Amino acid sequence: MSDELRVKNAVIRLAKGDITDMEIESFVYYAQHDLALGSGFGTAIAMRGGPSIQEELKQYGTLETTGVVISSAGSMKAEHIIHAVGPRFQEHDLESKLRTTIINCLTLADEKGIKSIAFPAMGVGFYGVPLGVSAEITLGTILEYLSGQTGIDEVVISLLDNREYQPYQKQFSAMSQGVEERT
Amino acid sequence: MGNKSRSYKAEKVIQGMGRKLNRQMVGSLLACVHCGNCTDSCHYVLANPGDPTYAPAYKADQVRRFFKRHYDWTGRVLPWWVKAKSLYTDEELEELKDTVFGKCTNCRRCTLNCPMGVDYATFNRMTRGLLVSVGIMPEGVAVVSKDQWEIGNQMGVLKEDYLETLEWLTEELQAEHGADYPGIPIDKMDTDVVYSINPREVKYDPRTISDAALIFNEAGENWTMPSEGWDMTNFGLFSGDDDLGGAVARRLYEKVAELRGKTLVISECGHGYRSTRCEGQNWAKWDINFEMESSVITMLRYIKEGRIKVDKSKNTEPVTFHDSCNNARSCGLFDEPRELLNLVCSDFREMYPNRSENYCCTGGGGAMSMSEYTPQRLKSAKIKADQLRATGATAVVTSCHNCVDGLTDLIKHYKLNMKVTQLVNLVANALVIEKEVAVPAEVVTAAAEGELAGYRILVADDEPDFVTYAATVLEDHGAVVLRAYDGDETLEIARREKPHLLTLDIKMPGKSGIEVFESIRNDPELKTMPICIITGKPELRKLIYERAVLPPEGYVDKPIDEERLLRNIKKILKPVHKDEEIESRK
Repeated sequence: MSDELRVKNAVIRLAKGDITDMEIESFVYYAQHDLALGSGFGTAIAMRGGPSIQEELKQYGTLETTGVVISSAGSMKAEHIIHAVGPRFQEHDLESKLRTTIINCLTLADEKGIKSIAFPAMGVGFYGVPLGVSAEITLGTILEYLSGQTGIDEVVISLLDNREYQPYQKQFSAMSQGVEERT
Repeated sequence: MGNKSRSYKAEKVIQGMGRKLNRQMVGSLLACVHCGNCTDSCHYVLANPGDPTYAPAYKADQVRRFFKRHYDWTGRVLPWWVKAKSLYTDEELEELKDTVFGKCTNCRRCTLNCPMGVDYATFNRMTRGLLVSVGIMPEGVAVVSKDQWEIGNQMGVLKEDYLETLEWLTEELQAEHGADYPGIPIDKMDTDVVYSINPREVKYDPRTISDAALIFNEAGENWTMPSEGWDMTNFGLFSGDDDLGGAVARRLYEKVAELRGKTLVISECGHGYRSTRCEGQNWAKWDINFEMESSVITMLRYIKEGRIKVDKSKNTEPVTFHDSCNNARSCGLFDEPRELLNLVCSDFREMYPNRSENYCCTGGGGAMSMSEYTPQRLKSAKIKADQLRATGATAVVTSCHNCVDGLTDLIKHYKLNMKVTQLVNLVANALVIEKEVAVPAEVVTAAAEGELAGYRILVADDEPDFVTYAATVLEDHGAVVLRAYDGDETLEIARREKPHLLTLDIKMPGKSGIEVFESIRNDPELKTMPICIITGKPELRKLIYERAVLPPEGYVDKPIDEERLLRNIKKILKPVHKDEEIESRK
């Protein structure tokens, strides 16, 4: 079973590991409304990237759900971090807000000329987005976006463990089959 | 059942309850006859005798009322008779949060004293989970949960910090016992024991890890620690989030299976033991093919099998034992620690009541992470303080890291003359090590005189004796030593002299070491200065690591001997300054 899918000039890949420790041009952090790095991946960003990242985020104030901003990645392996305030805790219109958040991340990446971007399993875990919903919307939205006009040539979905990997892989396989049938 | 005025979150909570209910919970929700037997069993009630809102039956009724209104026919047909009442507003959810998180530690002592077998803690936990699912929880619960979800352990210890700590502990063991000493094996395949720990041990109490390593090695055990999936604690037990519970347990189980370990040994932690051994398989829906045991049982087994020898005369201090609620009441682990204590201590004094009737340390159920409830937690700790005081012991032993923190806090609050320790520390101290050990002097010799030449080191401590001692050691090895005796002086000298390294005490007059540390890290000119915390207050270690700045390069507990001081200083200086940089700064 392949963990890679080519869409026009771009490739989507599944990978297992810690997104904050990846060698990639940019990655998405599922941020809080006040953009405080706080805990979880935020702890890793603050520790590995240094205090300059939080400092840089001060200029943006707070964001509404679906809002995204970009910062440098300090001393991390990545160059940029896209801070995305996705929906959380069973909130209204969760699926449509999640889709919009992902599109906003990709659009911002394109605006900044970013070629390579990693997404986590969007909204799962602490924020309670069901794994199946996250996999379907994240992969579906990315596939649709890459089918249009974009300068992005690589999207990596970085999954923490087997619990996240398996439903994403299942969705990925179904999606790959659909793409093959169309082509 | 619908109600137009009900908030979105309240609706979600009510819907969620329907998915969470099981026979055990429904039995407990229905069975209460309000006899009041539970009332005096609760440490919150004992500390607040005039406040009925702390009574377990009252607290349970706050959940029971909406259960009855929506999921029991009596409440639907005769709500006024059975006091059934729905939830409507977010304010009501906040009040419920204060009850289920702030007025109960899920210790289950009320369950033990209930003639109807009502397990309040079970549906109190369920209610916590319902609130968490709509984002209503104490801030500390959010922080810890997110750390465990995303970093893989509940204290946000990064993989590199964990591995570095294990390497450092191996170096310490080898320095003490010889270069060939096995240390701490990582990710060794096909071992008899895979040892899992509480992240608190890495962050605040690494001696418990090196003591365990000493015991495993002296027993000749074929053992390892995993590089990932090593956290046996599980905040899902406290937050009520079964998905978190399952995710954490699965990471641990999968790693043991990947290493083909035969037995997963769980270090001394009450909720970790319960979560990993008793609940995790249900949450994760995961079958395991290896054994699991508490390290208490492992250590006892080693003594009984003659694999290690202990001398109880090495632990003469009067000690008592505090039963963790999760170990004793939920898992029946209470005779083994006493048997072990009697083998390694010469003056063990029982605390009353004990075993499954013991009172909570008051830090259970995640209470230590919920700072907004600290005053009521400490007030409720009076019964525990009275219990401890009555023993006349000067040390309390507990097989739970959560209890270590809870007890340390209440001992300080009630000014008891006691320290808190764990069985692993006592067993390690009582070990009779017959093997020839390396002479520490060799290590000291290795730190050749003049090795620190060219370095300027600032020693900051309010104890003049320590400053003199450290300065003498460092100067003997070639360093130029600057001295500071309070926080303000430390900052002033650091700014003026820009030393290559600062050794920093935490408790100092004026600006504390914590404030100095934070100021240096936020100073553009000084922020990369290596800092080694040297303190006699290891419990303050967490204050340093809770700052929103990079952690210190080193952390050493007092008392510290010459060899250890030099080793830690050299370890920090070497990777920071390459040879040419040293030359340029001489």
